[in-house]
Amino acid sequence: MTELVPALPVAVDLEAFTSLGFWTGVGILAGIYTIFALGLQVNVGFTGIFNFGQAGFMAIGAYSMAILVTDADLSFWLALPIAILITMLFALLIGLPALRLRTDYLAIATIAAAEALRLFALNARDLTGGAQGLFGFDDSWDGVSDSILNGLESLGWSNPETLFPLFLVVWGVAILLMFALTFLQKSPWGRVLRAVREDEDAARALGKNAFAYKLQSLAIAAALGAIAGFFLALNLRFIIPDEFLPIFTFLGYAVLILGGLASYFGVAAGAIVFWTLFEGLRFLELPFDEVQIRALQFIVLGLVLILLMAFRPQGMFGNRQEMVLGD
Amino acid sequence: MTDAPSQPVAADERRPARESNGRPIFAAEGVVKRFGGIRAVDGATMSVREGSITALIGPNGAGKTTFFNVITGFYRPDGGRATFQSKPVLWRPPYAIARLGMVRTFQITKALSRMTVLDNMMLAAPDQPGERLANVVFRPASSRRREREVREQAIELLEIFNLTPLADDYAGTLSGGQRKLLELSRALMARPQLLLLDEPMAGINPTLGRRLLDHMQRLRADEGVTFLFIEHDMEVVMNHADRVVVMAEGRVIADGEPHEVRKDQAVIDAYLGGTA
Amino acid sequence: MQAAARNPQATAAAVIGAFVVALIIAEGLHDVAQTGLTGLSSGAIYALGAVGLTLVYGILKLVNFAHGDFLTFGAYMAFIVNITWGAPLVLAILFAIAATALLGVALEKVMWGPMRARGAGMLQLLLMAIGLALVIRYVIQFFFGTELRQLDVNNVATAEFLGLSIGRTFLVVILVGFVVLIATGLMLRYTLLGKRMRALSDNLELAETSGIDTSRVILYTWVFAAGSAGLAGVFAGAVTQLQPELGFEFLLPIFAAVVLGGIGNAFGALASGIILGVVIEWSTFFIDPGFKLGVGFLVLIVVLIVRPQGIFGQARTV
Repeated sequence: MTELVPALPVAVDLEAFTSLGFWTGVGILAGIYTIFALGLQVNVGFTGIFNFGQAGFMAIGAYSMAILVTDADLSFWLALPIAILITMLFALLIGLPALRLRTDYLAIATIAAAEALRLFALNARDLTGGAQGLFGFDDSWDGVSDSILNGLESLGWSNPETLFPLFLVVWGVAILLMFALTFLQKSPWGRVLRAVREDEDAARALGKNAFAYKLQSLAIAAALGAIAGFFLALNLRFIIPDEFLPIFTFLGYAVLILGGLASYFGVAAGAIVFWTLFEGLRFLELPFDEVQIRALQFIVLGLVLILLMAFRPQGMFGNRQEMVLGD
Repeated sequence: MTDAPSQPVAADERRPARESNGRPIFAAEGVVKRFGGIRAVDGATMSVREGSITALIGPNGAGKTTFFNVITGFYRPDGGRATFQSKPVLWRPPYAIARLGMVRTFQITKALSRMTVLDNMMLAAPDQPGERLANVVFRPASSRRREREVREQAIELLEIFNLTPLADDYAGTLSGGQRKLLELSRALMARPQLLLLDEPMAGINPTLGRRLLDHMQRLRADEGVTFLFIEHDMEVVMNHADRVVVMAEGRVIADGEPHEVRKDQAVIDAYLGGTA
Repeated sequence: MQAAARNPQATAAAVIGAFVVALIIAEGLHDVAQTGLTGLSSGAIYALGAVGLTLVYGILKLVNFAHGDFLTFGAYMAFIVNITWGAPLVLAILFAIAATALLGVALEKVMWGPMRARGAGMLQLLLMAIGLALVIRYVIQFFFGTELRQLDVNNVATAEFLGLSIGRTFLVVILVGFVVLIATGLMLRYTLLGKRMRALSDNLELAETSGIDTSRVILYTWVFAAGSAGLAGVFAGAVTQLQPELGFEFLLPIFAAVVLGGIGNAFGALASGIILGVVIEWSTFFIDPGFKLGVGFLVLIVVLIVRPQGIFGQARTV
């Protein structure tokens, strides 16, 4: 596991919590995982599909973008939509066989698919850089980031936080997506999705092609995963296979459940609370070494999942009446 | 068997169906469905006349619901043919069959619990462009227009079945009888030409049952909807069905008017002699 | 094609048989046998892990993601006894089995039982299993760190017979493993408890209505499942090395064995585990050994697509 937040001061006392650098870092991660978990919300909260391969979609998005920019010399801005399309294509490929399976088999199948992709990335050195990964795809973004920094300076902020532009863009996109998804959800299309979640056979008996809707849901989640992947790549400035382990999908689920199922805006709340807790652990004055702190972080993740499921499955803002639990 | 007798309607007093011309709207020939070694449906051949109210009866285990499942696409057939309005339907997926106009309800109601009653209804309306993702994004006006129409139709139907006060309640909170009505009215929203009801009377009180039957008659008369329903209540069948199809051990053993079928020796044997 | 679907066991046997013959022709009997032997050791580990996982499926109604970490737990418990306390390996193994069995029972009492009583749905149980897996794994990491550890086994000595050579540790794993597997098979087949465990894993509700004291059988099932997982973990640690991810690495091939054998089918899991171990080892003849794990995946994915109910399972709605 690598450092997810680059170049932050590893202060060991509470002063770190007042540092803008800390909050910007947490904010960026929260934003990335909001987008990531929005995809899970579409699948789990609104379609009843237990997609456990979301980290795999993140990987396809990030790697496609990086390969298109560094290998194919494509413009960054062109690579983004193409990478999204590639990811959605994979979603269809995986979904066609996998979506026919029942819930826990679908979970296994999607994890297996995501792991297969990660292993491929690890071994296909020529294409993906293997364990060393890829870098050097973010020149165009640097330009944008600098312009934003200049803009902030001209507004009066004398020494703006370097990561602030990324923070702004991530959240700008996240908020846009939340509104877009809520709009989609309220449409007749969203209504069919919920019907598929409730009872596929009832939906079919009323003339709805349930399988097609499930595929669309997976494709949308894949696109969102890809976008989260882009921002992850920009945040790290490099991509390596270790960034796409299954544990990050589990992390996404923790965010999802914490925020609450069947609520798009709740996802943001879940992400912010979770990442504050998660990153905050690293800054508390704890007498443990780095490996142990990392272990502690993931123990907390595990406990969050267990405790939420046992005692508060609706999380913070879950729509209690719409939740897919206890059936 | 219900205690309260429903009013028997003499054959000549029943209003003739608007489009009842004796032509079959649906026909099945030699339909077979196997489960492992068991032939649940063993060569069923029957037809449903357009504009009729046809009952499908038979002892337990005769294969009635399995037959329903096969002809509506929920089970894969192992043999046979079936046509709906002269179009072959046996190997199509269930949603395609529903779209052709053959809509079914389920024995155990499938009210979409975590959606409101109104949502349940509006879901069923056909030809809503807003159900396609592309239209939601690129042609929102057309979907809004249709939503308005659909909402009006839904409220009208709810009115007929006295479900209007429940429109905004989650379907999961409805009583058993209300759920049955919801399932029926929802199926009607889909504008079916042939409505297949799996035990519509099961578990609801006689008054409600009578109202349901009245609706069926009215729908048949006003809209020309054809009904095929599985039923165990002989009183209902004898007094409200135009035709009766009898299944036993996976086969159709009788197909005719109620009073004929009742006297058919094979039918009597099946009910008295056959095991459940 | 129809005939193949109707008798999957025969088809599978035929396919594997043909594969073996082709392999022998291509690579020679000695190499095939040699590799096969190594494969038997991983096969024993997979089988031990899979049989417990599949029995527990009947209780939980889902595939227990935390099962892999029972393996890790067992391995590290053995490490404590064997290395930290310096006791002989045999004691370490017994301790590991007992400790893991205890863990399994404790979790049933504290977590699974209460959640079942509350009518928890699949997503809830799934996420709890995942959370549990993480907690076990990372508590181990917290106390032991990520360095590779070794049990006190002789990994250098080899044994020779029939012109084949095999590492002594591997041989022990195969011998002990198969003894335990055979004993397990006999227990499941011929003892009352075994029959009840199988009945439970096949259909919990049916078993309940037939008057079996399900709560007892459930406990015994956990004892058995966790214990066998612990043993599998010790073996896994013995033939490789101990690190917190140990169990998770073995989990996916174990899943594959469970699914291949037909979920809930103990004998299927047993057989599939062994077959999978050997087949995966044979696959190194034509693919880079680094991709060995990938073969487990491939099998899993192919089975899920082609025949989700596995080779020994009936055609259920999956």
